[in-house]
Amino acid sequence: MAKLKLASYWAAACGGCDVAILDVHEKILDIAAAADIVFWPIATDFKYSDVEAMPDADIDVTLFHGAIRNSENEHLARLLRAKSKILVAFGSCAHIGGIPGLANLFSREDILKRVYLETPSTVNPEKITPDPRTAVPEGEITIPVFHDAVRPLNQVVEVDYYVPGCPPTPAQIWNVVQAIVSGQLPEKGSVVGASEKTQCDECTRKKQEKKISGFKRIATVQPDPDTCFLEQGFLCMGPVTRGGCDTRCQLSGVGCRGCYGPPPGVLDQGAKALSAITSVIESKEEADVQRIVDQIPDVLRSFNRFAIPASLITRKVL
Amino acid sequence: MKRISIDPITRLEGHGKIEIFLDDDGRVANCYFQVPELRGFEKFVEGMPIEEVPRVVSRICGV
Ligand code: SF4
Ligand code: SF4
Repeated sequence: MAKLKLASYWAAACGGCDVAILDVHEKILDIAAAADIVFWPIATDFKYSDVEAMPDADIDVTLFHGAIRNSENEHLARLLRAKSKILVAFGSCAHIGGIPGLANLFSREDILKRVYLETPSTVNPEKITPDPRTAVPEGEITIPVFHDAVRPLNQVVEVDYYVPGCPPTPAQIWNVVQAIVSGQLPEKGSVVGASEKTQCDECTRKKQEKKISGFKRIATVQPDPDTCFLEQGFLCMGPVTRGGCDTRCQLSGVGCRGCYGPPPGVLDQGAKALSAITSVIESKEEADVQRIVDQIPDVLRSFNRFAIPASLITRKVL
Repeated sequence: MKRISIDPITRLEGHGKIEIFLDDDGRVANCYFQVPELRGFEKFVEGMPIEEVPRVVSRICGV
């Protein structure tokens, strides 16, 4: 059998997804035995021009990490879509927008102003901000256009499969690789490398009935190491997050923040969190509920840590 | 003027490109290193509870 052609690319990403692939350790040799890597910027020296020169649908599978933040990300998404038989949105950023998607709560102008003019470590007396085109004595040089908002991969091109996680666990990556190599991928459009249950279903912390009489912060109170975070009043996105990561955060002593995205059947993870978590507040008195909800610091970014660009509203609109 | 583009720079974390301009004798006349990416952590962590920041800024670089 001919070897598979495999590509891995990062758009607006942190590189953690690529490192998670390398974290399969010596199994990377099995991957190399089954597949030729034809494009992988973190590990190989192929250029964009090499990808452009490939015939359409030449790559069997592209693992695409990172969100679509600028025109280069969008160009590579379209290019790799055309060159790949199977395009996988790999990791939270490509799947639902991820951490870069938090930028959708601010305008493009506010971000550029903060980064290039206002931060305490910035020295920029000429107040230079990035320009897509810059004339230099030798000609013109260009950088990508910074878009108004961040988009997950499927808002730009058709996506065949989704692998959730920030980053996906190496064990799940290995499961996905095996499914690819053996040709046993499920129906197109499926989430792979995760479970069909919620974090709570897979969590080993002691659970009773969830009744919250107040919220606490781990910055000021030490949680009990064995009991459900939410029952103790610490925020946990477990009820509204897909399982499959072996509850890594909860085992490390912090509540889930939702990187595996919404569980099956949930459209908007943040909205679901708002209804699920507020519905277990003990009091039914409106003023009391308000007082308790006010104890959650930063509701918007806590309930929508990874999924703003994939939510129903997708970005700040006012 | 001849131009050589190295795009992308590989085997490092993040995005970068280099534009090299050569003069008529084939010598390097000038060279530009460019970072074609920005996500804006400086803005979107503002006002976040301090205990949440480590789990957000760890996504600046995962390498
Ligand atoms: S999903 Fe997480 S680990 Fe992967 S690129 Fe995005 S921030 Fe990094
Ligand atoms: S709310 Fe969090 S800590 Fe509690 S059971 Fe669900 S995942 Fe576990």
